[in-house]
Amino acid sequence: MEQTILTIINSIRIAQELTPVTELHTTDNLREDLELTSFDLAELTVRIEDKYGIDIFEDGLVNTIGEIYNKLQQ
Amino acid sequence: MNILLTGCSRGVGLEICRVLLEQGHTIYGVARSCPQEFKDLQAQYPERLHYKSVDLSDSEHVKDNIFRDFCSNRVQIDGFVNNAAVAYDDIITNVNIDRLKAMYDVNVFAPIMMTKNVLRNMLLHHTKGSIVHISSISVHTGYKGLAMYASSKGALEAFSKDTAREWGSLGIRSNVVVPGFMPTAMSSTLSEEQRAKIYARTSLKKATSIRSVAETVAFLLSDKADSITGQNIHVDNGTI
Repeated sequence: MEQTILTIINSIRIAQELTPVTELHTTDNLREDLELTSFDLAELTVRIEDKYGIDIFEDGLVNTIGEIYNKLQQ
Repeated sequence: MNILLTGCSRGVGLEICRVLLEQGHTIYGVARSCPQEFKDLQAQYPERLHYKSVDLSDSEHVKDNIFRDFCSNRVQIDGFVNNAAVAYDDIITNVNIDRLKAMYDVNVFAPIMMTKNVLRNMLLHHTKGSIVHISSISVHTGYKGLAMYASSKGALEAFSKDTAREWGSLGIRSNVVVPGFMPTAMSSTLSEEQRAKIYARTSLKKATSIRSVAETVAFLLSDKADSITGQNIHVDNGTI
């Protein structure tokens, strides 16, 4: 699952002409550390939902990679 | 193109369906009922006309009812036509809150929840899609008894304008077609005298052509309209 999230985030970063990251940390902030915009976060949400059937933003804002992992492990 | 169309089985929705099928598109149509005229169209285009009976008054379950199995992420949605609507004809002093909420479920809440899921599909597939809402001339020219209905269509027009602004950078367009009065079931409760009065307010002095409305929707969905977004296109015989 962690590798899949890394792949999705890098595909979005590459599309935004940002350098891919080699690894993710649970404390990484999606906006500040990974430089994702609100549109990027929307795409991240639909890609994760398409893969796992879980809408990570359904019950409020998600800020960090750790929070995404928690949502998917619930 | 794959087009998701609500209210596909009657009136202007049926005509939109027919025009898009004639142009070679695939339709994912939803409506409450399936009258014979729509069944005939299904028999004519069995490969490209998909239908599901859905009651859009259940606005909370739009995702489950439409996007889970019927028009899922496996279908790349190129266009969405929000046509389904219910009328509520009464003077304001008689407004009933339950009837008002029921109308807003179909005319406003379901279309907003459907747009959410359509945009998500377009994001997933990186589709430069087109959204078309069907409004009503009653938003722009007042009619006695239509204040509640017009308010719901006015909400849609504002929603479309802001959809266009919010998603334009991704190439997604949103427009509204504003038809004048058409001879459909929606206006069937009007008397001949009321109809004559309404048509007298138009430049062309007659009912709006359902075909012209459908052709305009098809145009807005197409690449021919790729510089048109955030607009209300009046197809109303010049209602003044």
